[in-house]
Amino acid sequence: MQVLKLRPPLLREGQKWYFDPKWLIIIVIVGFLLIFQVLPLIYLVYRAFFSEGKFSLQAFKRVYTYPLNWSALVNTIVSATFSMIFGVLIAFPLAWLVGRTNLYGKKFFRTLFVVTYMVPPYVGAMAWMRLLNPTVGPMNMALQKLFHLSQAPFNIYSMGGLIWVLTTFYYPYAFITISRAMEKMDPSLEEASRISGANSWTTLRTITLPMMLPSIVAAALLVFIAAGSAYGIPSIIGVPGQIHTVTTRIIDFVYIGSQEGLTDATTLAVFLMLVANIVLYLSTFTLGKRQYITVSGKSTRPNIVDLGRWRLPLTVAVTLFALVVVIIPFVTVALSSITVNLGNSIFSLENITFRYWERIFTRKSILSSARNSLVSAVTAATLGLLVSSMMAYLLVRTDVKGKKIPDFMITVGSGTPSVVIALALIMSMSGKFGINIYNTLTIMIIAYMIKYMMMGMRTVVSALSQISPSLEEASQISGASWLKSMKNVTLPLIAPALVAGWFLIFMPCFYELTMSTLLYSTNTKTLGYELYTYQTYHNQQTASALATAILFIVFGINWLLNKLTGGEFSI
Amino acid sequence: MSRILIKDVTKAFGDVVVLSHFDAEFVDGSFITLLGPSGCGKTTMLRMLAGFEKPTMGEIYIGDQEVSSEKNFVPPERRDIGMVFQSYAVWPHMTVFENVAYPLKMKKMGKQEIKKLVDEILEIVHLSQYTQRVPSQLSGGQQQRVALARALVAKPKLLLLDEPLSNLDAKLRDSMRFEIKEIQKQLGITVVYVTHDQLEAMTMSDQVIVINKGCIQQVGTPTDIYRHPENQFVADFVGKINFLPAESKNQKLTFKHSNQQIPYGGDLIGDVVVGIRPENIRFVSMKGDLTGTLVSKFYLGDVNDCRIDIGGELIRVIAEPKSFDTCKEGETFNLRIDEFMVFKDSGDDFHTKILT
Repeated sequence: MQVLKLRPPLLREGQKWYFDPKWLIIIVIVGFLLIFQVLPLIYLVYRAFFSEGKFSLQAFKRVYTYPLNWSALVNTIVSATFSMIFGVLIAFPLAWLVGRTNLYGKKFFRTLFVVTYMVPPYVGAMAWMRLLNPTVGPMNMALQKLFHLSQAPFNIYSMGGLIWVLTTFYYPYAFITISRAMEKMDPSLEEASRISGANSWTTLRTITLPMMLPSIVAAALLVFIAAGSAYGIPSIIGVPGQIHTVTTRIIDFVYIGSQEGLTDATTLAVFLMLVANIVLYLSTFTLGKRQYITVSGKSTRPNIVDLGRWRLPLTVAVTLFALVVVIIPFVTVALSSITVNLGNSIFSLENITFRYWERIFTRKSILSSARNSLVSAVTAATLGLLVSSMMAYLLVRTDVKGKKIPDFMITVGSGTPSVVIALALIMSMSGKFGINIYNTLTIMIIAYMIKYMMMGMRTVVSALSQISPSLEEASQISGASWLKSMKNVTLPLIAPALVAGWFLIFMPCFYELTMSTLLYSTNTKTLGYELYTYQTYHNQQTASALATAILFIVFGINWLLNKLTGGEFSI
Repeated sequence: MSRILIKDVTKAFGDVVVLSHFDAEFVDGSFITLLGPSGCGKTTMLRMLAGFEKPTMGEIYIGDQEVSSEKNFVPPERRDIGMVFQSYAVWPHMTVFENVAYPLKMKKMGKQEIKKLVDEILEIVHLSQYTQRVPSQLSGGQQQRVALARALVAKPKLLLLDEPLSNLDAKLRDSMRFEIKEIQKQLGITVVYVTHDQLEAMTMSDQVIVINKGCIQQVGTPTDIYRHPENQFVADFVGKINFLPAESKNQKLTFKHSNQQIPYGGDLIGDVVVGIRPENIRFVSMKGDLTGTLVSKFYLGDVNDCRIDIGGELIRVIAEPKSFDTCKEGETFNLRIDEFMVFKDSGDDFHTKILT
């Protein structure tokens, strides 16, 4: 037998090095992320240990012996852990009821729960601090009257209150993850259990639940990270009750402005980053591999469980949940925006006003903040989508070496807490290393991209991987060039995903609070920050009007997205 | 082992009736095949037997138990049925042993007994050496056998098979066909098998039920169905066939296009359609029933597949392979028809159209 000598076909005789133009794309993306993400984060860690030019644990000693910081650490871990537990305990049954049973109105509920995901969490905090205010909260008062209690049953400014609001605003993360996994599961796996003699409940316990376990754990970790690195909710709910978290402490330290304050912030941020990255590693790189691939056969019609006589009671329960967790808070915020005196009843005519709405459309500072937010969110979404599309193409369609590097970096970026990203950018981008973009919108845009680009990338990647390469090849064999094939075949097919991906980056950037709080300057205030200052220092009604406007935009975009993509995507 | 009785079952999804007035009785210990093109309602019937769908109307009995009617509905887990799914549905988070032991665990059997029964059934499906593997380490054929073992381990009254071979490659499908039949004989169990593959239906079944557009077309043994189809749909769906319009008069059939005649002893008069299976036509040197010119021939190894012009229409003839060398295109041949069937001409091609 003759032995064939294999030689890379692209290497011609005498040519030792071949430049693949795809590398250029990788180099540009990697370069960008290296400068604006990796190096700043590394510098952050470096600063924590070398605060005065030489190695020292002095900063750690100072920060972690201060009781307030310790309690912040404990509070963060406790609140994130409980939010995670409650979030999953809520999300799993909800996902099951909405996805796999004959619950009444499940489509409506699904949309409702998913939309919460796109609502800025601080809106929830604003609503609940009104509803469960220990002295005048209307929900507290109603409950007090209903059960003849001597005092208000709940105090929102407590650890319990913090956990409650974190849970109600971060459980959608788990709901979406678990719902998706449930949809992907082959229904005949459950039918096989039924026919083997197991009833619905045993099937849920022995087949559905264990099969979903990797997704459930991933969902739990997602909620943990989101709740642990949240800033809006703890700063509105926690701080008035003297419950500090790592994020609020970091921002306090930065606001002190001194070198020592920055060092302390850095030291705390390193802790937060470490926790987040460990969790990210666990969920992406260990659990990801354990995900059961359940390719379904012909019958992808989900196996709908008949709830029987439980159908009505369970629907009532889900309705109550939706009412308490979604409807009442949103309505509260909307009503606050037209109330003259928040202490009085909204149901009297003289207490209704539209002057706060007028204010948000006329006041200069609000308008300029809105413009800043719009510009930076549009830029971040557009650039982010560009990077996402290129990355998606590299990941799905090519086997170019090194494509995993930028993918890894983007994943880490999105898993890093916002506070940490912003702090790292402040420390390294204020001229110390030749780049000074502090106090500009550019630094805002870069921070947004690092944090939210992955949402776009995942959407485009999954859309592209569902398109068989043979569709492009069929176009090429019909005489179209590669570029034409892209334009005529691939682009129209992934267009809905591109639109969805753009909005998925745009929305969170548009109302972003945490990073903006650290990165703003007098000329670059954003909508999220403006709202926050009104809420905390000036006038809650104006903040509520802004929040309501944001809610309308979120629902509007969701509706638009649904129309544009023919029902394929909505947030 | 169990007798199955299906009484006037109709199933509709909203306004769409997928199965109408289905009546059948399956004899204890027999191998029944529901055969039909995809979308004909056969899988729906199977899922109603299993209890995954409720009939809109009608009753189903398994053994003496009424499992489905207006008043009663027994959920799948209490029907004592084994089932193999098209996608196998082998649970990825359990080992082969755990998968197969599951139905026994549901019966709350003791550990010892479970082990004994699982080992027994794994022996039968030739998987004894794989007990501790997880499904992702098994090939498609092996996963399919795990599904089969799981369906059989609790010794159900009834085994349902939903196109279990359609995801396997041709060679494996061939051998699994015999294996399934062998196991069924060994255990003496009643089997209901759903397929669109007529070859599977022919080789395995005691009784075939041909379904089209939600209606039973014919019930019979494989030979019945093949040799005496009740209508053109069955004739066409089960095997290959030539349909020739003809007129029946004076004990003779006259083909409308070619005017050639063949004798006919049946009692249909007037416009008819004659169905002739290609393998029932032979080349003969003299005294043929028809004459025709060879238009094309294809050597398939085991047969010689020919098209012959008998004057105005082409018919397909499947001849012995060695005829490929002797017959030349353009030559005229005498053809002998060994067997044919005659259908009333309904005037449309409704029955021959197969929706797939």
